[in-house]
Amino acid sequence: MKDNINILTIITWAVLLVAVSVLLNDMREFDFNQFENFQNWAKTADRNESWFTSKNAIEWSYYAITAGIFFWRGYLIYGFSYFLSILKEVETGKYFSDKNIKYFRKIGNIFISYTIGILVLRFLLAAIGESTFNFINELKEEFTFLIPAGLAFYILAEIFEKGKQAKEDNELTI
Amino acid sequence: MPIVVNLDKMLVQRGMKSKELAEFIGITTANMSILKSGKARAIRFSTLEAICKALDCQPSDILEYVED
Repeated sequence: MKDNINILTIITWAVLLVAVSVLLNDMREFDFNQFENFQNWAKTADRNESWFTSKNAIEWSYYAITAGIFFWRGYLIYGFSYFLSILKEVETGKYFSDKNIKYFRKIGNIFISYTIGILVLRFLLAAIGESTFNFINELKEEFTFLIPAGLAFYILAEIFEKGKQAKEDNELTI
Repeated sequence: MPIVVNLDKMLVQRGMKSKELAEFIGITTANMSILKSGKARAIRFSTLEAICKALDCQPSDILEYVED
């Protein structure tokens, strides 16, 4: 049992490290200098020109939304880190602890809010004309599988809540 | 909980200490204290049987229903 937990912990760490390195690499490749260009443009822009339709504003929106996607990816990795907390609880023999129930709910929340957040950002990207957005096609993307995964974690939290009650009942049966 | 455990009364009547009873029926003193304090959620028939045997009494002497 302890060996299995150690293996799972190692796998989780590996997944986390890969996810973090991929995210950091994407951030490195992303050209943050565009923000400086935007700042320079904001200083010299013609104030009579409409902000929303100007090319620079649209470009800046694109970069801001892409940065938003980075934030959500980081948030998802933060969600993965809760697996380590769950494994730590299991390792100490506290299978049905309040902490585990809380962690399952948090992972469910993070998975679902990540998917909704990314969908909204992709819609906004399409709205400023940098990509196309078709709701049905977006739902076919891999990341939307996190919605059923999130729901599965909510269900696990409910099951663990019942398990905790059953454990307490068992402990208080003399 | 409307079920009251009158173990203290029976122990006084029989002149037995709760530690002795715990040893006799094979439960820990911690579980005996849970039983006496009324925090127990349930009692096994085997435990009830052992208590009745040790104290030479009936289950009704130990358990009582009191409406809340």
